[in-house]
Amino acid sequence: MPNMREIRERIASIQQILKITNAMYLMSSSKLKKARKSLEATEPYFYKLQSTIDSVLEHTPHTRQQFFDRRADIPEEKRKKGYIVITADKGLCGSYNHNIMKYTEQELAKAADIDNCYLFVMGQVGRMHFQRKMRVDGEFLYTTQNPTLYRAGEIADMVIDKFDNGELDEVYLIYTDMINSSQQETRTLRLLPFERRHFGKAADGTMKKLPKASFMPSPEEVMNYLIPQYAKGIIYGAMVEAFCCEQQSRMTAMDAATTSAKDMIKELSLMYNRARQAAITQEITEVCGGAASLDE
Amino acid sequence: MAKTFHLEIIATDRVFFEGEVEHLVITAIDGLLGILPGHEPLVTCLPTGELKYMVNGKWKYAAISEGFIQVMPESSIILADTCELPEEIDIKRAEAAKERAEEQLRQKQSIKEYYQTQAALNRAMNRLKISQKHFK
Repeated sequence: MPNMREIRERIASIQQILKITNAMYLMSSSKLKKARKSLEATEPYFYKLQSTIDSVLEHTPHTRQQFFDRRADIPEEKRKKGYIVITADKGLCGSYNHNIMKYTEQELAKAADIDNCYLFVMGQVGRMHFQRKMRVDGEFLYTTQNPTLYRAGEIADMVIDKFDNGELDEVYLIYTDMINSSQQETRTLRLLPFERRHFGKAADGTMKKLPKASFMPSPEEVMNYLIPQYAKGIIYGAMVEAFCCEQQSRMTAMDAATTSAKDMIKELSLMYNRARQAAITQEITEVCGGAASLDE
Repeated sequence: MAKTFHLEIIATDRVFFEGEVEHLVITAIDGLLGILPGHEPLVTCLPTGELKYMVNGKWKYAAISEGFIQVMPESSIILADTCELPEEIDIKRAEAAKERAEEQLRQKQSIKEYYQTQAALNRAMNRLKISQKHFK
């Protein structure tokens, strides 16, 4: 039978942890509510942007545009690939971070040459993880808390700059997509260079095929403007999705932790009571035994 | 009943407008552009500026920043960073943003920063202009 004092201390420490997990649960659930709201507000834009650009590209005459440049002159294994990975700023959110890091490593394993891969990691946890084994851009310091359009714009500018200068030949975005409140999926989205089939599923396939549209003032000019806009929108959308997923998984994890802490306390207090009763019984037996031995 | 076409205006933070309109006037890079039902397919970009559309014979105005439009004969889609009605514009905030941008423009900046500040100033001025014009 374990010691009573030990059990009491154990219960007290679990109660402390319970308080923390419960507080984190409440915090993440209120943050989730906010994140959900912004996700709901952004989702129409996110999907419409993809489907609209898709149909715009169908109507675009063939142009020698820099953003469509597939760098065909560089052999496949020599192309420099950039990955923007969105992770969380802290742990304690179940397998969220783990999933994304594992997925990223799988993606990297697929790449022909690991030395030509560059990582741009958002969020502290991912940075710390990848810094040890990979080349991570040191100046790329962005938090994933409360995504803003401004931050997305900065990231898009940076990536497009690098693409223009030939520092990167391909750019991918790895983030977690919220399918519904209990399902999340890590996925990759190709940002640059542009290719028609890489646009994800449209929310609705209502767009009809039409002959070439006219572009004002010129296709090149419109594309020059539209593609940074698209990159910004997509990065923002992904950030919002990822933030929402993070809060969702933190809430689930903390809820589970709170429940199991409660279970443990229940079990331990049962044990404690048993130990207490045993101690009392033993004492009574001892007293009785003592008294009986005096009588003799 | 005048002929109408379907218009969707979607900003990053909400669906701003969705419905039938008779006439749409946008500010494109090189000037104002009017769109009526049956317009030829067209794609163009929208810098920060003013937007107006006619619903049931009444003009509605909005301030828009950075986006693009896809026009089809029966429908049009505008995707933009932000879009606001004149009465929704926070004048104090726009004024503060304008002052901040002007202050920054006076300092030495890199070309990139300069463009960014200029864009911010542009947005603030546009908001102020539109709210003064249509909302007193």
